[in-house]
Amino acid sequence: MPKAPSQLLLRPWPLPVLLALRYLRSTRKDAYVSFLSTVAAAGIAVGVAALVLVLAALSGLHERLLGQILATTPQIEITLPASADPQEALLAVEGVDGISQAQRVLKGQGWVVYEGVPEAIQLVGFEGSLPPSFPGEGTRGAGLYVPRSLADRWLAEVGSKVQVVSPRPSLSPLGPRPRVRTVLLEGVFESSPVETFQRAALPLDMAEALLGREGRVIQASSSDAEEAVAVVPALQEVLPEGARVQTWKDLNRSLYFVLRLEKTLLFVAVGLIVVVAALALVVGLALVISSKRSEIGMLGAMGVSAPRLRSIFLWLGLSLSTLGLAAGCAIGALAAWLFDRFELLVVPGQVMFVDYIPFRVHAGDIWMVCGATAILVALCSLYAGHRAATLKPVEALRR
Amino acid sequence: MSVAVRARGVYKTYTDGDRRVPVLRGIDMDVAAGESVAIMGPSGSGKSTLLHLLGGLDRPDSPQEEETSLIEIGGQILGHHSERELAEFRNRTLGFIFQFHQLLPDFTALENVMIPGRIAGQDPREVYDQAKRLLAEVGLEDRLEHFPNQLSGGERQRVALSRALALEPPLLLADEPTGNLDPASGERVLEILLDLQARRGTTVLLVTHNPEIAGRCGRILQLESGVLHADRR
Repeated sequence: MPKAPSQLLLRPWPLPVLLALRYLRSTRKDAYVSFLSTVAAAGIAVGVAALVLVLAALSGLHERLLGQILATTPQIEITLPASADPQEALLAVEGVDGISQAQRVLKGQGWVVYEGVPEAIQLVGFEGSLPPSFPGEGTRGAGLYVPRSLADRWLAEVGSKVQVVSPRPSLSPLGPRPRVRTVLLEGVFESSPVETFQRAALPLDMAEALLGREGRVIQASSSDAEEAVAVVPALQEVLPEGARVQTWKDLNRSLYFVLRLEKTLLFVAVGLIVVVAALALVVGLALVISSKRSEIGMLGAMGVSAPRLRSIFLWLGLSLSTLGLAAGCAIGALAAWLFDRFELLVVPGQVMFVDYIPFRVHAGDIWMVCGATAILVALCSLYAGHRAATLKPVEALRR
Repeated sequence: MSVAVRARGVYKTYTDGDRRVPVLRGIDMDVAAGESVAIMGPSGSGKSTLLHLLGGLDRPDSPQEEETSLIEIGGQILGHHSERELAEFRNRTLGFIFQFHQLLPDFTALENVMIPGRIAGQDPREVYDQAKRLLAEVGLEDRLEHFPNQLSGGERQRVALSRALALEPPLLLADEPTGNLDPASGERVLEILLDLQARRGTTVLLVTHNPEIAGRCGRILQLESGVLHADRR
């Protein structure tokens, strides 16, 4: 039986891979090449770790932000055309598979007034119990609900008398007068610090009377947010023509765009570290090529074509950077876990919507980092390999 | 007998700065299959250049108007081949031995002999067995797992010879194969080379400036001032 070394060429892998694997071993013996490839691998590790960490911080923040927004946004909102019968449409929506809850609402602008202090607010009239987009505890029957933050500012309590005012006037013998209803405060709900305007919930019939129109909007929800998006085509089939179906994604489209843009820009900026490291790899490979000039010439003389010569250095570059890539992913993921677990990055909760920066490592982000790094390393290695491939065997063999 | 090598009107000029240095000025040669031919000439006469052109490692000058320039090896006209086809041609048709062994230092003797077969895409196990057989033929059966730096000069050149013959090429191009060896080792390498040539019927073109070595070949060609002359002492 042969001893270990010659077993390598017995493997049924492509020849460039086998040559690269052996060269990988020999690069460790060459002091300059091994120094440069260590620098390149360390640079790639630092860059990859930074990318993983930044993406994890952004994912964590975005998840928290979206979680808060989703808690106060209906999963599905259907706007009915004037010709449709809202009650009929509601029954049709409730009959769709995947819809767990649906109710009619009416939205409009108005004021709530407590002890003479008015507060501009979006009025949301609802039928039945308080919609899920008004998170809170306790009984959630018909009545007036305001954000907890507003009630705290007012020093109002459940049972306090609050006036609800509509901008739509009613005509009286004394001229137009605003429509006012005085109601007892039924409860409060948790509003999100990222909400753009305040909302108050009140029974649908009262809202219809105040705003002078019928509730033509249906808010519906599913078991989870993704399911709600999936159920849209089925909804559109049962709804009358002209009905507009929007999901939480549509309702927060601009926010999503900004979040994705932020992630992309940071990915590119931090990714430049990897680019610099990959350039060190090019230098390392160029050194390998210049030290193996006559060998490359001999391989050419034996019939290795230029593309195969190039791919030797592609594989060598990829294998030299694999360790850096793996170490970077591990370091980044570990750091992200530590930062999240021990809440190491504290931020002022009054200013931000969180008390500390949460980190979430997603497999998709890791794949994206690994993929982008591999492509970059491949391009740099092919560039270095191209120099080897364009070397004429005669010139390479000449001493 | 079929013609193994045919060259007509082969020119090669190098440019050194602004100076044009003509090396080959119209080579015409015919070598029959199975022949062993020595090419002699003073150093710098273009012996190696001719061998490189015949081996498809370099391309001759484009022919002037109304002249024909042709290199044909085993019925294949090299000028018609793309770089990729030339690479395949070199792999299948030619074996090279150079003055310096040109073994791959990161690979064992056995692996070096396996490489042409792996380049050709042959079954690794068969390539392995064939390489072992070839190394045994040149008396290196106990040096299979040695790296080139663990071998003597003569042994290295014998490994290089095994490698050149790994795919049993019809044509072997040898450029001063013993030029870097002590007389005894050189003699051993030459003996093996000519023995294998005789047994396999391989065509051999051997470049040397040593008349003694050239005398062992079937025919001698002298390269002088860029032109080949027959020489039969």
